[in-house]
Amino acid sequence: MTTTSTKQVPRLDEMTRSELIQYLKDTVKPEEGLIPSYIFSHPKVYELEMEKIFLKDWLFVAHKSEIPNIGDFVTREMGGQSVIVTHGADGEIHVLLNVCTHRGMKLCRMDNGNQKNFTCPYHGFNFKNTGDLIGIPFQKVVYGETMDKSKMGLKEIRHDVYADLIFATLNSEAVSLEEFLGDIKWYLDLAFNRAEMEVVGLPQKWNVDGTWKLGSDNTISDSYHTLVSHGSIAKLGLVPTGDYSKYGYQIYTGNGHGLNLGMPNPDGFAFPESLIDEYKERLNEDQYDILKQMKNMIVCVSPNIMILISSMDLKGQKISHTSLRIWKPTGPDSMEISSWMLVEKNATEEWKRLSEQAFTLTFGASGIFEQDDTENFTDITQNSKSPYHLQENIVFNYTMGMHQEPVEDFVGPGIVYKDKFNEANSRAFFRNWLDQITAE
Amino acid sequence: MHEDIILQHEIEQWLYKESELLDQLNFDGWYELLSEEISYTMPLRINQMEKSKPDYSEATLLFDDDSTTLKLRIDRMKTDMAWAELPPSRTRRNVSNVKIKEVSENEVAVHSNLLLYRSRSTDTTADLISGERKDVLRKENGDWKLVSRWFLADQTSLGTRNLAIFV
Ligand code: FES
Ligand SMILES: [Fe+2]
Repeated sequence: MTTTSTKQVPRLDEMTRSELIQYLKDTVKPEEGLIPSYIFSHPKVYELEMEKIFLKDWLFVAHKSEIPNIGDFVTREMGGQSVIVTHGADGEIHVLLNVCTHRGMKLCRMDNGNQKNFTCPYHGFNFKNTGDLIGIPFQKVVYGETMDKSKMGLKEIRHDVYADLIFATLNSEAVSLEEFLGDIKWYLDLAFNRAEMEVVGLPQKWNVDGTWKLGSDNTISDSYHTLVSHGSIAKLGLVPTGDYSKYGYQIYTGNGHGLNLGMPNPDGFAFPESLIDEYKERLNEDQYDILKQMKNMIVCVSPNIMILISSMDLKGQKISHTSLRIWKPTGPDSMEISSWMLVEKNATEEWKRLSEQAFTLTFGASGIFEQDDTENFTDITQNSKSPYHLQENIVFNYTMGMHQEPVEDFVGPGIVYKDKFNEANSRAFFRNWLDQITAE
Repeated sequence: MHEDIILQHEIEQWLYKESELLDQLNFDGWYELLSEEISYTMPLRINQMEKSKPDYSEATLLFDDDSTTLKLRIDRMKTDMAWAELPPSRTRRNVSNVKIKEVSENEVAVHSNLLLYRSRSTDTTADLISGERKDVLRKENGDWKLVSRWFLADQTSLGTRNLAIFV
């Protein structure tokens, strides 16, 4: 005899698109702080995310300082698609689909470099770094007069720049980058417009068996985990013990973007004193005032960017470091992390060196903060794969801080909560996420 | 020739010993093998067009350590809050192709291959970190100490969740 049960496991893979969307609307309840487990790994949810988020939103592809000279390029991935970001011969930035217009070969297989032209490894079509097709082997012989090269350039992906960050979107109807970013720009200024910033080297990349969403979710609201997940760091004396990570503000600026701002900084100014004039010149008074008091700042730009300014005591010296990463989805239950380190271009060599070392030690692939986060992302994702979670509709609790009211007296824009121990930003992030993936 | 063979043997044994200490999670024992002046770095592997240029970047380092920061990493492991290695990964460091490149009075430059197997948690897939080491060992008070380690992984995007282990 077999054990019988009347309980059904909802079969998301057998639902129609509209049934699936309804099921999501019925089960994901951000305002109540109830987030069901299955969304963290279900292939059907991932399909929707790819289509409704990663093919629609503005995504980060490169920092301008990575391609300073004409001919410079980097290859990047967005929405599962390889693109070449070039500083073209025309002096403009181009984001080009890395797909040969002849028969689809990946045109450029390098991570970076400087090239006038890209020659396809398959049949040798030759493209300028502006995307124009300029050469076809034996053109006259093989096409006669029938081939119009001007119609066969590489597909140019819509892009725009804010604070030297190059964003691109695979959605020709997307709102402007300006509108997409909205008030998060005020905080992006603190990270990337406070001084002339430059990327150090190339992004580090590593792979985690966890969903990209957990990265963004952790970024946008989770200062609370610092006490425990990063408890080892406090024990070492690199950061204060106790509830230091509580102090500051949690801020939501709309469209799934938000941040945690740690302040005041008990150790004083976390940035190079020699650049104070540059900071003052480039930031407005309110922004500079925040910079002065900043201990750390962790920003989520939806869907999958994390920006971090973190300060610490290293070898008896106060030092801060600035970085940007993307949580790049590689499957329903996996992601690749790409992480760029940035530094003030005009800082002293000594300061740059220590800042780089502090970054690598704490938030690079070997970072002693970094390491412990990936455990959480992996194990939550793997847990969520069990059909039992669907059968029982297991939900996770995101109700922290629901008893709190936003404050009105903060100088920057957004919905602002005093103190960072709050899940308000995650609730807002998942509302935005749900609206996006359930949009018609 | 005879001396060369003895030196080769000595250095190989030193590398095996080092691997054993790390595989057995004896980090204090490992730290003893390091010179106070150690430089411990891991550049980033990149896909590079021109064969004349190195296919790595030293501007980006995945490890950028000295004796102070390595000590921090080791002390962290002892805090019982170092979740990345709780429970610890099982690792096997296979060191091969040991080539002594340069010998001076009290220093040797030695290159080798590292194939590091990492089994994490209940994972059934194995993480493999394969790459090239360039080390400098120095005789300090009669013992070989690691003065410099330079490790270059073969992957441009690492197939492991973090570098919570030493290379
Ligand atoms: S596919 Fe590129 S030239 Fe044919
Ligand atoms: Fe964290």
